[in-house]
Amino acid sequence: MTISEPQKRISEQALTVWKIAATLHSLVVWVLAGGLIAITIFFGFPKWIIAAAIAVAVVYSYLFILLLPTLRWKRWRYEVREQEIELQYGVFIIKRTLIPMIRVQHVDTQQGPLLRKYRLSTVTVSTAATVHEIPALDMEEAENLRISISRLARVADEDV
Amino acid sequence: MSDPKRLHPIAAVVNGLRQLKEMIIPFLIFVVFGSRGTDWDLFYFFGSIGVVVLVLVYGVLSWYRFTYRIEQGELRIEYGLIVRKKRYIPFDRIQSLDLSEGILQRLFGLVKVKVETAGSGGMGLQDGEAVLTAITKQDAHAIHDYLVSIKKSGQILQGDEEPQSSDDLLYKMSVSELLMLATTSGGVGVVISAVFAFVFQFEEFIPYEQIFDGVENFVQNGVVFISVVVFIGFLLAWMIALFGTMLKYANFTVRKVDNDLVITRGLLEKRQFTIPLNRIQAVRISENFVRQPLGYASAYVESAGGSALDQESSKVLILPIVKKRKIPGLLEPHLTEYHFRVDLSPAPKRDYSRYLLKGWLFTLPIIIAAIWFLKPWGYAALILLPISALWSYLNYKDAGWSLDQGMLTFRYRNIVKNTVYMRKNKVQSFSVKESFFQRKKNLATVEAIVKSGHGGAGGKVIDLEKKHVDRMYRWYSHETAE
Repeated sequence: MTISEPQKRISEQALTVWKIAATLHSLVVWVLAGGLIAITIFFGFPKWIIAAAIAVAVVYSYLFILLLPTLRWKRWRYEVREQEIELQYGVFIIKRTLIPMIRVQHVDTQQGPLLRKYRLSTVTVSTAATVHEIPALDMEEAENLRISISRLARVADEDV
Repeated sequence: MSDPKRLHPIAAVVNGLRQLKEMIIPFLIFVVFGSRGTDWDLFYFFGSIGVVVLVLVYGVLSWYRFTYRIEQGELRIEYGLIVRKKRYIPFDRIQSLDLSEGILQRLFGLVKVKVETAGSGGMGLQDGEAVLTAITKQDAHAIHDYLVSIKKSGQILQGDEEPQSSDDLLYKMSVSELLMLATTSGGVGVVISAVFAFVFQFEEFIPYEQIFDGVENFVQNGVVFISVVVFIGFLLAWMIALFGTMLKYANFTVRKVDNDLVITRGLLEKRQFTIPLNRIQAVRISENFVRQPLGYASAYVESAGGSALDQESSKVLILPIVKKRKIPGLLEPHLTEYHFRVDLSPAPKRDYSRYLLKGWLFTLPIIIAAIWFLKPWGYAALILLPISALWSYLNYKDAGWSLDQGMLTFRYRNIVKNTVYMRKNKVQSFSVKESFFQRKKNLATVEAIVKSGHGGAGGKVIDLEKKHVDRMYRWYSHETAE
């Protein structure tokens, strides 16, 4: 008797944004690898260092640009119900979290330049003790979500 | 009490002393480096005196500027020497008044009052609080009574002036318990490391090597001498820690006054904490390594609110040390929402191998490094393997959970064995984690977070049966998931 997964997925654009961000990150790795290769050639260090540097950079790029974002996106689910919010995410470790509406203190949406370009927003739900994030939703959806969560949170009334 | 009042003049002294204490290290450096037997000595001398005088004058002036009054249901404080500041705190926002008496306050029959609100958002100020460093006991009582009257009128409690306050003694620490607490506390380590830190700080100033050369002959006389010195050193450190703990926790009493727990403790410096019962978010019972075999434990409550800077006001020790089996009897009559006689279900048997593996994954690199770098002696590190195995066994054996009557209980061990009791309606969020390997074995990790101070605290149990975890998940869910 397993518990069914939350139903909603995050925006497909998220994948594009993550891949772009990861590409920028891996550029740094390539620059470092390039530097190492230059040093190796200049000082005549053993050749295997060049091969290793390239291998590391390739594996890093593959993992962080292609594999992980896809897995991460596939796993990311959320569901906002009348009395609680449920999140599921993680790549190797799947984490599922329940946040009751009565515990929600406030909801924020925010977007960086990259997210803005793709018309996405991050939704952040804060309780008195914790902060939870839905990383990339369509801007309008995020807006609606923020409004509806804060409305539901207001309706649900109980002492802290 | 609506006209502005000043603190007792002793507050100026207390504040001045605190300022001086903060300055003491730069000051020492100034003096030490200053006096080199040159003409500048006089300059340094008068400079030092000048600084001290300035600090004292500053203390007096800021004392003069600091006024407080009660007006329109607010505690109004005005202070600040150069920038005038006003802080108005509505009484119905005040969470608690904490009274304490330091040595100076006690000499003059005064108290220090700390007013705490749930507020946050600091700008570097002490969040949500105001401190009246030294006022007379009558004034403190007046503030307290005013607070009580405001709180009461807010409720529907009207009628006689008769304060129908109940006052139950919940716990009073006995002398033997105080001794037990002091001898088994971790304070010794703190003192020892403080002594070490202090000694090495002055390495550059004190010519240890010369001193050591002098005692070299002694040292050559034998290891016995060094052992004795080290032993005496540790004994001394232990006694200082013992003494410190005894002073701090002497006369520890917990009483329940109306809907508050009031804790008083301390011999030289008396402290009093008030925790409204409805602010309690969870109860935690901790057993450290020394106390556990002796059957002793301590109990804490996680409390919401309080100031962010003061750890003590969010995780409050309510039973410093007590026989574990006595805890339910002591707490249950007062913390009526909690019950402490719960049957905990253990982690499944097949877990131990995972705990063991995790322990060894952590210790093996250390062992390999030790063997590699410290050739002959490195093999001694192999002893870590059985130790780690034992440790893992304890972690495995202590993992447990229970669900009943709206209460969730987690038991787990980091270094100290913890049992956390949480009411469902106080849990802020609930998570289940499954790693790839856990999924294969049908295991999962649970975590529940409650509010504590301005942050979160709670509990986490690793590797429980998946179907049990699902049960907890469904229990916590407000809309039963299929």
